[in-house]
Amino acid sequence: MSAQRVTITYSGPIVFLSTDHWKQIQNSLVSQLPLRNLHWKSTSRNALRSIQELDVKLVPFEMLREDQAASQIPQSVLEKPLLHLYIFTCEDSEVYRTTVRKQLKEWHASVSTRKNQEWLIIHVVRPDQSVAQGRLFQMKTSVLDKVKADFNLDKKDRCVQLVWSAEKDNPAVWADTISKIKEGVLSSFDAALAQREEEVKRSEGQRQMPGWNFCTFFILKESVASSLEGMNLHEDALQQYYELESIFFQVLREKNLSWFGALITPMPTDDSSPLLSVTKKPYRDLILANTISVFDFRVYLLARQCILLSKIGDMEELCRKAASFLSTFSRTLRDVENTLPPFFIESWIYSSALSVVDQSDEWAKRLTLDKAALSAFNAAKGELLELARQQLDVLGIATGFLPNKPPFSLALPSTFDPADKDPKTKRGSMTITKTELLSSMEDQDTLYELYVNVTNRAIELYASAGRRKFALKLHGSLAALDIHRGRLVNALQTYTSLPAHYSPHGWTSMEAYMLNRALSIHEAAEKPKDREWIHVLLHFLRAYVDDGGKDLLLSEEDCKAYVEKLVAALKEAAQTLDNDTPFPDHPALSVSLVEPHAKLAESRDGALLQVVVNNRLPCDVPAEEVRLQLTGRENSQITFTAKVSSIAPGRTELTLFCPSSAMGTYALANTQISMPRLLFQWRHSKTPKQIKAGNMPTLVYIPKDARALDVRLKQPPLIELGTMSRIRVLLSTGRNEVATASVKLSAPSGIKFQYEDTQLIGEDTPAIRTDAQALTFLDLKAGQTVVAAVPHSDASAYAYMRINITVDYVTTTEPDITRTLRLSRVVATGLPVEINVQDFFRGTRLFTAFTLSTKTHQHVRVRSAQLLSDSETTGVRVKSCVGQKPGIVTLTPQQPGRFLFQMDSEKGTAREGLKLKITYRMLREEVESLIEIAVSEVVSEQLPLEPHRQDLTDKLIQALETNASWVELYGVTGELAVPGVTLTEDEFGAGLRQVMEKLNRKRSPTSFGEWRDIVIPVDVPQIHILASARLQILENPFSAEVEKAEKRTRPLYAGQPISALLTIKTSFHWAPPEDTRVQSYNMRYDIEDLTQDWLVSGRKRGDFVAKDGETFSTPVTLIALHHGELALPKVGVNALPLPGEHRMRSSVVPSCETYEVHGAEKVLVLPRGGRSTFVVNMGTNTSM
Amino acid sequence: MPPQLKLNAVAFVSPQNHPILIRTFAQGQDELKYHYIAHTSLDVIDERIAAALASKSTDCYLNLLYTMEDVAVYGYITPLKVKIIIALALTDSVVRDADVITIFRALHTAYRQAVANPFLKVNAPIDGYNDHATLLQAGNSKWRAFRKRVDDIGKAVGAVGSAT
Repeated sequence: MSAQRVTITYSGPIVFLSTDHWKQIQNSLVSQLPLRNLHWKSTSRNALRSIQELDVKLVPFEMLREDQAASQIPQSVLEKPLLHLYIFTCEDSEVYRTTVRKQLKEWHASVSTRKNQEWLIIHVVRPDQSVAQGRLFQMKTSVLDKVKADFNLDKKDRCVQLVWSAEKDNPAVWADTISKIKEGVLSSFDAALAQREEEVKRSEGQRQMPGWNFCTFFILKESVASSLEGMNLHEDALQQYYELESIFFQVLREKNLSWFGALITPMPTDDSSPLLSVTKKPYRDLILANTISVFDFRVYLLARQCILLSKIGDMEELCRKAASFLSTFSRTLRDVENTLPPFFIESWIYSSALSVVDQSDEWAKRLTLDKAALSAFNAAKGELLELARQQLDVLGIATGFLPNKPPFSLALPSTFDPADKDPKTKRGSMTITKTELLSSMEDQDTLYELYVNVTNRAIELYASAGRRKFALKLHGSLAALDIHRGRLVNALQTYTSLPAHYSPHGWTSMEAYMLNRALSIHEAAEKPKDREWIHVLLHFLRAYVDDGGKDLLLSEEDCKAYVEKLVAALKEAAQTLDNDTPFPDHPALSVSLVEPHAKLAESRDGALLQVVVNNRLPCDVPAEEVRLQLTGRENSQITFTAKVSSIAPGRTELTLFCPSSAMGTYALANTQISMPRLLFQWRHSKTPKQIKAGNMPTLVYIPKDARALDVRLKQPPLIELGTMSRIRVLLSTGRNEVATASVKLSAPSGIKFQYEDTQLIGEDTPAIRTDAQALTFLDLKAGQTVVAAVPHSDASAYAYMRINITVDYVTTTEPDITRTLRLSRVVATGLPVEINVQDFFRGTRLFTAFTLSTKTHQHVRVRSAQLLSDSETTGVRVKSCVGQKPGIVTLTPQQPGRFLFQMDSEKGTAREGLKLKITYRMLREEVESLIEIAVSEVVSEQLPLEPHRQDLTDKLIQALETNASWVELYGVTGELAVPGVTLTEDEFGAGLRQVMEKLNRKRSPTSFGEWRDIVIPVDVPQIHILASARLQILENPFSAEVEKAEKRTRPLYAGQPISALLTIKTSFHWAPPEDTRVQSYNMRYDIEDLTQDWLVSGRKRGDFVAKDGETFSTPVTLIALHHGELALPKVGVNALPLPGEHRMRSSVVPSCETYEVHGAEKVLVLPRGGRSTFVVNMGTNTSM
Repeated sequence: MPPQLKLNAVAFVSPQNHPILIRTFAQGQDELKYHYIAHTSLDVIDERIAAALASKSTDCYLNLLYTMEDVAVYGYITPLKVKIIIALALTDSVVRDADVITIFRALHTAYRQAVANPFLKVNAPIDGYNDHATLLQAGNSKWRAFRKRVDDIGKAVGAVGSAT
């Protein structure tokens, strides 16, 4: 039933219709069609329907065939015209009245009786006439008014005037007329449709009554649908078909299908004809005749729906509907499969699906689909193609061209029985007619080609629809086909690439399946078991042990045996690899710690660590070694290993041994299980980000092995500045008899060690070997401690020196193990004290004061400070000025210590090589060693305390650190009262009490512990000229220095001149040896003018020539300015530059020091003397 | 007579598209088929989610995803984005959405009850606490209660279909 167009008839006076004028008008009218933008407000539908465009057929009224109305079959309401037009032109009302009116009456009589049809009278006038008619005060009524008066019987105005001429042909003049036409069309359509729908409703209501026929009802209802379709109301039309479909199912459930023919009466080409064609069979006639089969009926219904969907443009829905129809209806067909030609259903689905794809593509050409709709369309088409492909699976399995196993068998219906489907059995004479299927049933290559083609088309569509997972599945089936065809290389490639798509989201079951396929292909292809194979296998094992990985392994009955075989093959294959291949994070095996505390091996150096190896495979895994690596501070690494032969399934406890372990806390870095050439590795170290997220690294604690080989570094007990620094290396062998032990020191600060100049200290020194890199000790006994002093480059720039020690040692008991001990130690290199020197020259004597102060906040205990000189060579005799030794001086940051020495020297002899030797130690060291002594005393008395030894010491030191109140008492008395220790009641508390009692006893600090020495070379100071100035007050100007010894008798008065004598004695005693030949220097003296106290007259300043041991004297006169105890004026003496000698462009001034002999002298100045007599009037003598 | 629904397979998939549980009830059928169905359904579910986002729909029920030979695949997404996929045996009759939604609700409840088990998190790694799949896989071998619930639902679906 093809879509109907709306019909409109026209009529008019015969004379008029034969004119050219009419022809022009008709052309113009046709050019206005189709009608646009109709708005239909239906009485039975809520929403306003808009019709964009409506095609209209214009026919002459006379050509209408009247017999159509007689037909009993409900046709579309558009079969009949919806509107009748009468078009005339008449300018004169007289003419109208006489002739035209009569004709109109006739026409009107014939059209107005028709049901549900509208009519419209169009009066055509020329433009100039209409202007004339619009005049005011027109006496005569116009023709239009007359027409209106004659024919407008009800309220509706069915007359319209068309002002038209050939010259003025534009849409605007038609506007009125066209809108009237639209109105008429819609109104009559509405009435007709309402009537038809009423009929449908009535018929539907009678469904339960006997005699009701679904086919009749269908035709009736379909007429509504096709009417709506004719009006371009596709959605509404589709709705009718949906209603029909649901009524069909209702009827189907009521089993009321008596008026249908058989379910299917297969026609020869039913299986290969295009599904969506409504013309391939006379469906309506079949329906009318009640002979249509359900099959044909359903196909027809679907086709109608799809056509409407294509007009709406919903291509996705179209394809989906077709696909779901094909799958669902084929289920129904299966019930009667025995009556059908063999493979009828498969062929029908296959050709129908393909034809739907082609047909929808055809339809889609007219549409412009946006991106989303297009990809949905593609996806739906892909599904259709996949459906077609599945039919090929079924055919292939049935013909034996494809194996009956997954993935081909996935498409088989659940009731499939291959025996039923023997292609040789023929039911009846009919066969399927799809030629490509027929030929592919004969020839397997044709089938394969078809298979690949259809699959590739589907893949392409899925890919463009973004359905990756669907495409993957199809790729998998292609690969399966490749296997079957023996194209193993292709298949292998696909199967090895597919797992990567399934693994990221944990679809291990799929991954395992793919890998399993890949492995079996590999085997089947007899390819060498190379690195790639190993990779695939390991991936397979990974998926296998994951949850769900075993789900799909159907091809192997006994998984255990299969895996066992694989693992054995893996071992063999791995051995052929040419280098070690790491494989990270394989889940089949894992190594984990049992507890975080390592144990000591006790009998030898090294630590033991318990681990659990978990093997999740069902069989033994061959392995060589289990290895576990720990990282400690500063990236030091230690490795625990254990040799194994194989790892049994499940948990296995192993003890790993590390020969060279150092005490400390380590983080688990990585673990490894190795089989020949193949290393399973797991990383355990955490990135800072993970740690931040609360994912802490696993820690391992290794205890201290007191009896292991150990190396300590010490500052030497004697530091001699100015000589090569040496560091002491103490190597204690512990329990080991060491064959060789090579020690390497390295300092990050760049200090170099000179192993060649190593000195061994102590007795019984072992043999050593030195080279530029290391210091090697040979043949050490157990329990031996050797001390070596290794010189190194200057480190005085650093207060502390960090040194990394590496010891590689081999014991005599285990000569094949080289143990490596890595340690990092810090040695203080800076001196804890600071020394300042002050020199005072007095004639041939020199007083030197050393001020020692601590550099840090630590207290330093100084036992002695000595200034050493070899008097025979230096000619200097040193005497300490501190007569009684006060014992120990404690230097604190507040209180430095002073040490004064006196030196006598002989002139002219070499004065070098004086050394200051300070014996000291830090208070902390002293107290620590004191505690250790006390603790070991207690422990030796009470042996059970031995394990607590370190704890006791630590506890006391901690107590001392928290409170400084003991320092003062200890400094004075040597008694150490440990504050703030709470004693427990157990053995430990008792031990602690004893130690504290011991500490509380008085002890001389000199009696225990080690002292350190610093030797600092001190130069004897040199000076060219030593001048001693003296200002002497004389009795009178003439009494020369002869009287200087005499006691002054005359008092001094302020304001009176006082004679004085300045004497300057010069000595060249301390002159540098190279300058001893100089006989004299030019010098200048200067008496300071103390204007407050003294007036100086005479030569205040003067030059003189100084000679060794000679005295220069000059008289001056002083006047005291006020009375009191006054210090004498100061005298400065300076050397003048040496004449003629220049060094570095400046004159050379000999060094000179002056001391004032009179510096401490003071003189008493009395107020100026004199007597004044005052005569006082005693008053009048009254007796006189 | 209402259609008799037959539940062939159920799949639970985590928000990160990790499979949580795939159960098949059909006898003599390939598990691979339902694994494939569960996996491929994710593509369609993604399409539906995108469409739902565009239309601002918050419906959990994703309707019929596609039909495949003899099964009809339906999808459901929980508010926490766990995807539930069921495969019903295909029948040539109308399947009412209400029936399918009832099945989904029951499955969702089963999942919720299973996840509510506080002991699930005991062995779970800390960094994976948002992903349900790792949660469930951590206890997968001990995960019988959930399987049993799902199996019960599978049985019940068949029973209800035939009883009414």
